[in-house]
Amino acid sequence: MCGIAGVVFKDGKIHPVGDALTKMLDALQHRGPDSAGFAIYGGLGLLENEYLLNIEVKESPGLLEEVKNTVNISTPIKKEEIIPSVENFIIYRCKIALNSFSELKPLIMRIDKIDDVIVLNGSHSFEMIKDVGLVKDIAARYNTQDKMGTHAIGHTRFSTESIVDRYHAHPFQSYIIPDITVVHNGQITNYWKIRDPLERKGHIFETTNDTECIVHYIADKLNEGYKLEEALEQSVKDMDGPFSYIVGTPNGVGIAKDQLGLRPGVLAENDEVFAIASEEVALREVMDTHDIEQISPGEARAYTI
Amino acid sequence: MQDIIIYAQNKTPREVNQDLKQFAKNNKKITIKNPNAMHYMAAGLTEPVEVFIDGSAGYFVGTMIHGAKKHVNGNAGWFPGDNMTDGELIIDGSAGDGVGQGIYGGTVVVKKDAGSRTGEIMKNGNIIIGGNSGFMSGLFMMGGRIIILGDISDDAGESIIRGAIYVKGNIKSLGKNAKVEEINAEDKKELMEILTPHGFDLKDDDYKNFKKIVPRSKRPFYGKESEEG
Repeated sequence: MCGIAGVVFKDGKIHPVGDALTKMLDALQHRGPDSAGFAIYGGLGLLENEYLLNIEVKESPGLLEEVKNTVNISTPIKKEEIIPSVENFIIYRCKIALNSFSELKPLIMRIDKIDDVIVLNGSHSFEMIKDVGLVKDIAARYNTQDKMGTHAIGHTRFSTESIVDRYHAHPFQSYIIPDITVVHNGQITNYWKIRDPLERKGHIFETTNDTECIVHYIADKLNEGYKLEEALEQSVKDMDGPFSYIVGTPNGVGIAKDQLGLRPGVLAENDEVFAIASEEVALREVMDTHDIEQISPGEARAYTI
Repeated sequence: MQDIIIYAQNKTPREVNQDLKQFAKNNKKITIKNPNAMHYMAAGLTEPVEVFIDGSAGYFVGTMIHGAKKHVNGNAGWFPGDNMTDGELIIDGSAGDGVGQGIYGGTVVVKKDAGSRTGEIMKNGNIIIGGNSGFMSGLFMMGGRIIILGDISDDAGESIIRGAIYVKGNIKSLGKNAKVEEINAEDKKELMEILTPHGFDLKDDDYKNFKKIVPRSKRPFYGKESEEG
């Protein structure tokens, strides 16, 4: 089933968006208990050449040191943090500087070659938090309610076609251009038809999860010059299957729904907030309104700041 | 007899429904406070009780009710009134997809807009939408009436077999086996009788704007029309 949510503070200023999204996702907990995730934009305050890596590392003697050495060979670690997780894993989070964004994906691939280690993400303008389990537990583990930012997207997962682990928790991220994320409820039934041309262009797929396919598709379209809403509209024409998904970019969020409207999506906004979600119950966590708009089949909506 | 209030916060849908069914045995009016768009409220209620939901409802509000009258003073999610056989469901706000899906009788009213597939596979009863109704409204409809005071979206009456969809606004496009007819005096009388008690006080001229979507054939896929009784 899965629950998806997105929220934008329209003034573009820093707000307690982590708290807002945590409440929205907790309200959608019944839609998926397997994992949950957040992409919280605008609050990291990194310098132009800085990036944040989130690396899942198994608790094993010497393994974390190997990860640090691998990172340090490429670029010195500027700041680091260890977040305990579950199932004998930790999340190693470090800040690094790179000469350009194009160095990020190769670095991630080098780290991924270490056994029992996987880079959950690397970002510049947003903070990715995703883990297995319930929203409340993940929120407490990562202090999501204290996270500040301008906008955010998130997910509660009911796994259907791929395994339950941190990496397959949403959001998924693409590295075609910086900081594009997707959360998704549904299935893309012409997956290979969408994936094949993207791979022919050289884009790298790490999983067979259809959400990863969506995020690369959108990032590719944005890279070609599409505006967010245009990319979403094109995706509705190109993709088959029941789906609604939310995209996060450094400047905003957007939602698209399949042409038969087989997955839910609702929207509400006022002068301060633009919010989208699977169900009204999530919108009511950030807005006191009775004016709830149903996203129509085949419709795409976006809000950029 | 005093009004009963069920406070839904900190309760599961099952607990709310268990309370509701218990109170419905001996009370005529029950209010559900703080529903917060909870799913499945009043599912399977068969007592002739009045239920006021003070806020929004989630999915399947009033599914499979028989005889109860329910009033939601907020919005509703997907499938409000699903498969109800008798009774009334009034929603003051908007509703999601599948309003009145498969109903056998009774009346569902949405005062504002409804999502897609309103009245799909409905067999009888009435559905009134005060605003617009979405994609494939009346999908595989087999009886009853859908009355839409706003516009109806694409593929209206897709594969409709029986029944009628009355639309006061625009029809974006028709589905397979659907055709449009002008309404007659009998239709107008029926519309007035159904709409007026629910607070839709239309002027006489407004009724002239209604179009009626009906099936082209009772057997569009197989068999012969002459086989119909």
